[in-house]
Amino acid sequence: MDLNYVIAMLLFVLGLYCLLLKRNLIKLIIGLTVLTDGIHLFLISLGYRSGGTAAIVSGEMFSDLPGFAARAVDPIPQALVLTSIVINICILALALSLAVYAYRHYGTLDPSKLRRLKE
Amino acid sequence: MIPHAPILAILLPLFAAFLTPVVGILSRRRDIKRAREWFAIAAVLVELLVVASMLPTVWGGQVLVYKLGGWQPPWGINLAIDGLNLLVALIVAGIGALVMIYSFVYMERDTGLDQYYTLYLLILAGMMGVALTGDIFNLYVFFEIMCISSYALVAFRRKWQSIEASIKYMIVSSLGTSFILLGIALLYGLAGSLNIADLAQKLGQVSPSAVIVPLALFVTGFGIKIAMVPLHMWMPDAYQAAPSAVAALFSGATATVGIYAMVRVVYILFGAFAIGTMLATLGLLTMVLGALMALAQRDLKRLLAYSGISQIGYILLGIGLGTVLGIQGGLFHLFNNAIYKTMLFMIAGAIVYRVGTSDMDQLGGLWKNMPVTGTLFAVGALAISGVPPFNGFASKWTIYVAGIEAGQPVFTIIALITSALTLAYFLKALNSIFLGQRPKHLSDVKETPLPMLFPIMLLAVLCVVFGVLPQLGIDLVRPAQEAVMNSSGYISEVLRGV
Repeated sequence: MDLNYVIAMLLFVLGLYCLLLKRNLIKLIIGLTVLTDGIHLFLISLGYRSGGTAAIVSGEMFSDLPGFAARAVDPIPQALVLTSIVINICILALALSLAVYAYRHYGTLDPSKLRRLKE
Repeated sequence: MIPHAPILAILLPLFAAFLTPVVGILSRRRDIKRAREWFAIAAVLVELLVVASMLPTVWGGQVLVYKLGGWQPPWGINLAIDGLNLLVALIVAGIGALVMIYSFVYMERDTGLDQYYTLYLLILAGMMGVALTGDIFNLYVFFEIMCISSYALVAFRRKWQSIEASIKYMIVSSLGTSFILLGIALLYGLAGSLNIADLAQKLGQVSPSAVIVPLALFVTGFGIKIAMVPLHMWMPDAYQAAPSAVAALFSGATATVGIYAMVRVVYILFGAFAIGTMLATLGLLTMVLGALMALAQRDLKRLLAYSGISQIGYILLGIGLGTVLGIQGGLFHLFNNAIYKTMLFMIAGAIVYRVGTSDMDQLGGLWKNMPVTGTLFAVGALAISGVPPFNGFASKWTIYVAGIEAGQPVFTIIALITSALTLAYFLKALNSIFLGQRPKHLSDVKETPLPMLFPIMLLAVLCVVFGVLPQLGIDLVRPAQEAVMNSSGYISEVLRGV
């Protein structure tokens, strides 16, 4: 159980490392997704309960609601992560298409070469 | 109030965004000229009307709580609108409408305008969502809608400048939004709630040391969005490379929304007046560095971007002081900043539209060609530098007085010096664009077209009105200031009947 949090933070830190130190746009984008995946794992682990059931109330559950509540996992983090995954797919798609354009304009994916604007 | 106005204010631009391409296709097929533009303008004007219709209720001191699907607040998503939310919504809708009218002519030479108007309305929907929601995850989602559409709009012209700026902006800003998401995850782990009012209440019982990390994550995340020094690097590039209409929208509306999110999260969620000093210090740093960098710029849009960073510093300083007068001054400056910043970017756009460049070395003597634009630029420049009788003076004066009153005369002195610097670089810009020697090839430049001048003139009139009648502006932001100070009122209103 605690391992989840350790791995989540590890993913987060790895993503951050990649974003700060890598010199390739594609790697930066991968770093970004790894970083958010770390956050997703963290969120999902918050609502996890070992041996728990899905928080979907059906007919027979109503007879024993307190017992069901004691067994069910927290559904909110799952909804949050689902939303966040969709958002990140949008960012990923946009980022990759921008990387394609950057390669066309600059002939390189090195972000440190993308600094013509300053001059 | 129009029934269901809170949710309509978000849904209207959202649906209009997806209808715009359809209208575009239909208008091409039926050969109706500019139906798409008129449709988009109609949408933002109705939007402004919807937001304005909420004014009497909220200014009457009520917190509008709109429960989505009829679910009681701590469990369901709700829209909670107090004075602060409404001030921001009003700025967003107003600036959104004016820049839309401006885009009508400014963008006419571009292709792919279906996408432009769709993205524009999506940004508007995102900003409105951030401004009106009372749920922190909802705020994050709308924030992301706003951010993703802005990356796309910065890259809209797909030239090398826009691609480079957009990539820088996207990498930095995505990192910021992931920080915000992590902050939300930590808060959910701590308090088990996502409703801002409920969270604020529950965080009161959590030990203060536990909320430091999420607070830091939020300040960093939103700080990136408002380009607080040292997180400002993306902004000059993005504003220089984006179409001027987009830059006008960003500097007026998006920055406002970022500051709103910062204030809402820091003040109401954490009730942390303790970090006010930090905000004020960062504000000072932002203010001075922005102004110093602006002095060295040769490109008008880049200069305006740096001066925008500097103005954000004033707002943070005022809000960070945490006194009644400080918050009033900060919010008044937020309001004024939206007015003249948008106006100056529109003028920069007008120059780009007529001349084709915003490089100040290649401009000069344009007063003879564009006297009206030149006068308007002078009005904007004087207003932003805090020269009476324009609105910038009124709000800056309030911040100066607040600084002295809060026992921080040093803050006031630095703010005054920065104001002088602002005047210096705007006079330099005015001199090198409108006065001086006119290059030969600029002799047949025409005056800005009227549909573009109209929104600029409207904003200039506002600059003068709020400068001559500062009390009007103070009255306008007072409900917002009371809302910032009265977080317990917000909490009890939202959670009433639980």
